[in-house]
Amino acid sequence: MAEQPPIPPPAAAAPPQPPRKVVLPPHRERAHRPWRVRAEEWVRRNLFASPGQTLLTFASLALVGLVIAGAVWFVFFQANWRVITVNRWLLFAGGFPLDEKWRLWLSVALVFPLIGAAYGMWASLGRRDLLFIALAGAFVFFLTAHGDAGPSSSVWFAASLALFFLGYRVCRFVPRETGRPRTLAVRTLAALLALALPLVLIVLMVGGGAQASQFGGFMLNLILAPVGIVGGLLLAVPLALGRASSLRAISWTCTAYIEVIRGAPLIGWLFVALFILEDVISSPLIVRTMIVLAVFTAAYVAEYIRGGLQSLPRGQGEAGHAVGLSHLQTLQVIVLPQALRVSIPPIVGQAIGLWKDTALISIILPLRELVGNSRAAIAQAEFIPDRIEVYAFAAVLFWIVAFMMSRISQRMERAQGVGER
Amino acid sequence: MTTETEATTAEQPSANGADRLAGQPDIIMTEGVDKWFGDFQALDDVTLSVKEHEIVVILGPSGSGKSTFIRCLNRLEEHDAGRIVIDGIELNEDVRNLRAIREEVGMVFQQFNLFPHLSVLNNITLGPQKVRRMPKLDAEQLAMELLERVGIPEQADKYPTQLSGGQQQRVAIARALAMRPKIMLFDEPTSALDPEMIKEVLDVMRELAESGMTMLVVTHEMGFAREVADRLVFFDEGQLIEQGTPQHFFESPREERTKLFLSQIL
Repeated sequence: MAEQPPIPPPAAAAPPQPPRKVVLPPHRERAHRPWRVRAEEWVRRNLFASPGQTLLTFASLALVGLVIAGAVWFVFFQANWRVITVNRWLLFAGGFPLDEKWRLWLSVALVFPLIGAAYGMWASLGRRDLLFIALAGAFVFFLTAHGDAGPSSSVWFAASLALFFLGYRVCRFVPRETGRPRTLAVRTLAALLALALPLVLIVLMVGGGAQASQFGGFMLNLILAPVGIVGGLLLAVPLALGRASSLRAISWTCTAYIEVIRGAPLIGWLFVALFILEDVISSPLIVRTMIVLAVFTAAYVAEYIRGGLQSLPRGQGEAGHAVGLSHLQTLQVIVLPQALRVSIPPIVGQAIGLWKDTALISIILPLRELVGNSRAAIAQAEFIPDRIEVYAFAAVLFWIVAFMMSRISQRMERAQGVGER
Repeated sequence: MTTETEATTAEQPSANGADRLAGQPDIIMTEGVDKWFGDFQALDDVTLSVKEHEIVVILGPSGSGKSTFIRCLNRLEEHDAGRIVIDGIELNEDVRNLRAIREEVGMVFQQFNLFPHLSVLNNITLGPQKVRRMPKLDAEQLAMELLERVGIPEQADKYPTQLSGGQQQRVAIARALAMRPKIMLFDEPTSALDPEMIKEVLDVMRELAESGMTMLVVTHEMGFAREVADRLVFFDEGQLIEQGTPQHFFESPREERTKLFLSQIL
C-alpha cells in the first residue's frame, strides 16, 4: 500500500471521495500478513492437517528427538574424545612422517580451490551449502585447535578454506550460458582437476617426502578413491565401445570382462590384489590396489556408458558419416560427448559408492586406511572401551566427503542447460 | 528384372528444363542393385542413372525401398549386389572410395539429425574443419554464408533444440552444403514438419535446384515434384517400376501400380 501512485488532484466539481481501497492480489495479501500468522498456517497445513497426520508428526518428532538427544548426550557427556586427539595423526595420515606435515597441508591447499571452482562453475553456494561448510569447517577447526596439532594446522586450514572461496568467486565470473568463454573455462578447470592428483602425489613424495608404503589413514582413502574413479573412467570408454563393436571377438572379450568383474564382490578382487596380482605385476601393494579399484570401477562405468550410447538415436552416427567424418571422428566428436553426458549421474553414483568402498581395503589388505587405523587406535589398551567414538568419527569423515560429492553432482545435473543435453 | 515389372522409360527427361540436361554426363550410375534385410528384399535389381544437374524425385508407397535406395548411394546401407558408381568412383569396400564419395554427396534426413550438443554454427563447420581441414575462421565464414542462404543467419549461436523444425531442417541443409557436395540426397525432408514449415524448406530446395545442384529427393510433396523435377521415378516393392517426366507421370502413367499409387495420393 505504500507504493500507491499519487492521486491526481480531483476535478473542481467532484465531491470529496473516500480514499480508494487497494485490493492486492492473493499472493501479495499473504506476504503482507505477519510471519507468525503465516507460520501458524504452514504448521497447520503441513503437520496437523488430519488426525492421522498429527499422529505421524508426533511419532516422527519423538523418533528424531530421541536420536538427537541420544547423539548429543553421547557426543558431549559420554564420549571420550581423547582417543581421537591422541590418535589424530594415525587416523588422518597413518605412517606418513610427521615432519613432512606441510606436504599434506599443501596438497589440501592445492585441491580446495579446485573444489571451490567446481562449485562456482556448476552451482552457487546456497544457504544449505554454507551451513554444511560452516559445520564441517568448525569440525576441522576443532580438530586442528585441540591437542598437539599446533597452530600451523589451523592456519593451513584457514588458508585452504579461503582458497576454496577464492576459486568459487573466480568461477562465478564465468558466464552461465553455453558459449566459447564458458567452454574454455570448463576445459581449463577439467584440465586442472585432471592434473590435481599427479600434482598431489608429487607434492607428497618428491624431494625427501614420504614413501608410498607410508601412506595411511584418511589421506589414503582420499588418494585411492580418485585413482579408482579416474582410472576406471579411462578404462571404461574403450570397454563400452568394444562391447558395442560389431567385431565379435572384441565384443565378446569386453562383455566377458564386464560380466566377470561385476560377478564378484570388490572384496574378492582385493584378495586378488593381495595374493594373485603380485605374481603378475611386481609392484607395491598400493599400486596393485589402485589397479584393482580402477579395473573394478571400469566394469560398472562401462555399462553406464553403454546405456548412454544406446540412448542416442541412430541418426546421430549416420549424420556424422554423411558429413564425411570417419568412424573414429564420428565417435570422438558426435557419439561419445553425448553418451558421456547422459551417463554422468550413474557414474557419479558409482564414484560415491567407490569412495565408501575404500573402507573395505583394510579388511583384506595390510594397507591402513581410515577404518584400519581406527581399529589400530582401539587396539591400544587405554582406548579399548572407545570403539564407538572412533568409528563414529570415521563415519562422519566419510559422510562429509560423500555428501559433498552428491551435492556437486546434483548441481551439475541441474546446470546442464540447453544444448548441453 | 521380370518382364511383368520391366521399367518403362518415357521420352527424354526435359519437361522443366527444355533439354537443359542434353549432353550432361551421368554423375550417378547404379546397375542391378539388390539389398536384403534378412529375408526381406528391400531393393530388387535397381538400375538408374542420374545426369549432372538433374533433379530426380523418387516416389513410392512406404516400404517400397526408395529411402533404402538413396541411403545406399552414400553407403549408410551396404548394397548386396550390383554396382554403384558416383562421379566415376566405384562404391565398394574400399574406405578411400567411400570417403571420397561421402565428401561429394550431401544428405538431408527426415529427422534432421542435427548434433544437439553443438551450436548451429558448429554443426555446419564440423565437416569442413574435420574432413576438409579448413581453417576455423574460413569454416565459420562459410557457415555464415550458408545460413544467410537458407535464411536464418541470426540463429548461428543457438542450439538445435532451440529452433523450430523448419529452421532445423534448413540448418541441416546448410550443414550438408558446407562440404560443397556435387550431389544432394533428400530423404523425406519435409515429412517430420508441421504444415506451415514445409514451405520454408521447399523454398530452400527450389533455390538449390535452380543453382544447378544434382538432387535426388524422396518426398510426398507432389507440388514440388511437378514443378521442380526433371524426372520422376516410381518405386514399389523394391523395384523401379516406372520413370519419366512429371508431365508423363501425372497425365499418362503406363503401369497399373503407378496409376493406383497416384490415384491414392492425388
